[in-house]
Amino acid sequence: MEPQVRIRRWPWVVIALSLAVAFTLSMISPADSVQGDLVRIMYVHVPSAWLAYTAFFVTFVGSVAYLVTKNLKWDRIAAASAEIGVYFTGLALSLGMIWAKPTWGVWWTWDARLTFTFIMFFVYLGYLALRRTTDDPIARASRSSVLGVLGAIQIPLVHFSVVWWRTLHQPPSLIKPDGPAIQDPLMLTALIIGVIAFTVVYVALMVKRIELIHLDERRLQIEQSIERPVAGEAVTAPELGAT
Amino acid sequence: MSEWGWVAFAYGVAYGSLAVYATSIAIRIRNARKSIGDAE
Repeated sequence: MEPQVRIRRWPWVVIALSLAVAFTLSMISPADSVQGDLVRIMYVHVPSAWLAYTAFFVTFVGSVAYLVTKNLKWDRIAAASAEIGVYFTGLALSLGMIWAKPTWGVWWTWDARLTFTFIMFFVYLGYLALRRTTDDPIARASRSSVLGVLGAIQIPLVHFSVVWWRTLHQPPSLIKPDGPAIQDPLMLTALIIGVIAFTVVYVALMVKRIELIHLDERRLQIEQSIERPVAGEAVTAPELGAT
Repeated sequence: MSEWGWVAFAYGVAYGSLAVYATSIAIRIRNARKSIGDAE
């Protein structure tokens, strides 16, 4: 019998505390001289986009590690991270649209950054769909790991799209060769703490999501071990020659 | 809509969807534990 899956409660507390800190800082930071209070959307949009990259990078690392070691532990990490990554990519796209309408005047434009992020979202949705094509853990891990590796090509493509192409989207806010674009110390602090807080939320969600994968595997194992009658087993052969 | 209206909209989407996603994981864990308990 497999050991019981350990259920942790601390991730929920950590998620609530991290979000409370991020929210407080984003509300007390000053308004921007150009964008006014709309700049506060940056404190949730940038961390979401950062976590989209991080989550898919972890999926890439988990996929490579699985292909090398064939240890299913790595596949569980890749799968959990991909689902959370799809959530944060969807959130970054949604928040970007909400920010774009009052600043650019449109909800959406086929800009390089937006288009590549949109494609990345669907590729990882495909990764999640691919995982549902079989219950065999080895086949599932092998197939999805290949996509997990190939899909990671998009991460630098999305990030550097604002540098490589002329786009409407602003250049990177934090990761720049000549330092962060934000000069105000309180705004910069709010953004950095927001990124850290969302990263902590990602780690806590990963812990819970991996617990769920273990529980699903256990459930499948139990279902498969329960003896079921073979089709036709209940049918008795007629006695030939009986009157 | 005012600037604060857009900010409230964005934060409602961000924090609201996070709450929904975290709750969905909690419910899936509870259901999985329940079905394992039922099977065992």
